[in-house]
Amino acid sequence: MVEEQDKDQANGKSQADAGDAAAPSDTDVPRFRPAVPSGGRRFWRAMTKRPQASHLGVAVLLALLGFGAVLQVRGDEEDALSHARRDELLQIYDGLTREADRLEEEIQDLRRDRDDLASSAGDESVALEQAEERLRQAQIVAGTVPVTGPGIQLTISDPDNQVTDTTLFGAIYELRSAGAEAIQIEGQGNDTAVRIVAESYLLPAEGGVEVSGVMLRPPYVITAIGNPENLDEAMHFPQGVMSDVTLDGGDATVTQFSELTVETLHEVTEPEHASPAPEGE
Amino acid sequence: MIPALGLVAGIIAGLFLDVSVPLDLQPYVPIAIVAALDAVFGGIRAVMEGIFDDKVFVVSFIANVLIAALIVYLGDQLGVGAQLSTAVIVVLGIRIFTNAATIRRHIFRA
Repeated sequence: MVEEQDKDQANGKSQADAGDAAAPSDTDVPRFRPAVPSGGRRFWRAMTKRPQASHLGVAVLLALLGFGAVLQVRGDEEDALSHARRDELLQIYDGLTREADRLEEEIQDLRRDRDDLASSAGDESVALEQAEERLRQAQIVAGTVPVTGPGIQLTISDPDNQVTDTTLFGAIYELRSAGAEAIQIEGQGNDTAVRIVAESYLLPAEGGVEVSGVMLRPPYVITAIGNPENLDEAMHFPQGVMSDVTLDGGDATVTQFSELTVETLHEVTEPEHASPAPEGE
Repeated sequence: MIPALGLVAGIIAGLFLDVSVPLDLQPYVPIAIVAALDAVFGGIRAVMEGIFDDKVFVVSFIANVLIAALIVYLGDQLGVGAQLSTAVIVVLGIRIFTNAATIRRHIFRA
């Protein structure tokens, strides 16, 4: 029955296609009474009356509309650019280009800063290396670190305890002038060793010598790090160390080593009176 | 009733299906939606005036959408896409407001 009615409508339509959504008058007369019932009531009636198969097409179109609208709205949220118009895109592009230029400049500034910092850090590391090198030298000179290297050992056997502090001092002096870089003197009699540094001193003592306040008993072994040949030669000068020891009544032998260790350390005491003079005076 | 259900079903489908609009169609979808809205408001008005006809609605709906998209497409090809789409929106907007005013009078009698 419904289809029948539809066909009628379609026929009527082709005959009299007047305005928008205007249906032919002969099919559904009650719907054409203008004021009564009211529009709202008609709408309500249309909503609640029995479903018509012919409304399926309308439903499909409305579904498409809802679907498309929701998709479009969601798409808008995701990506605003894709349906921007050309001049909008141009504007956005301009803005981005300016932004990119600005950021590029910033990158260059930062890069320059970084290079500056890197080079100054390089300077600092060189300075640090030099300082460490000086520290190392100072430590060797001051005798606060063990030292290894080639050198000689001068063994002075003194059975009658007759070798004097002066003779030992002469030996140390000769070693120093021959380029010894680190010296220690060991009294094997009481198995004690002393590192010879700038402030070291020797004094005569009962049954041995006193070096920097430490008692040493013979035989003495002086270990010196330096060029072994030079040091050896320095010991054998005429009227030098060897002959002095012999004159004193002792016996000295020199042994060259390619690898020696000076292990005894000197304990540095804080200077009591001396302090560095101000620079430039 | 079926059309209303269809609208609701379409909205729900749009919410839950993750389909993106094809890139080529992107510029025309908004215009098409406005055109379709115009048709829908016209349809509601027709229902209230008792002159609704589903075939007319279907034809006017499709024709509205196609013509609106076509105008915008043409405008894009001619380089006046922005202006033409504005024009289409304005015209459709006026029609929607007119229809809405009529509907309003039917409902509120004012």
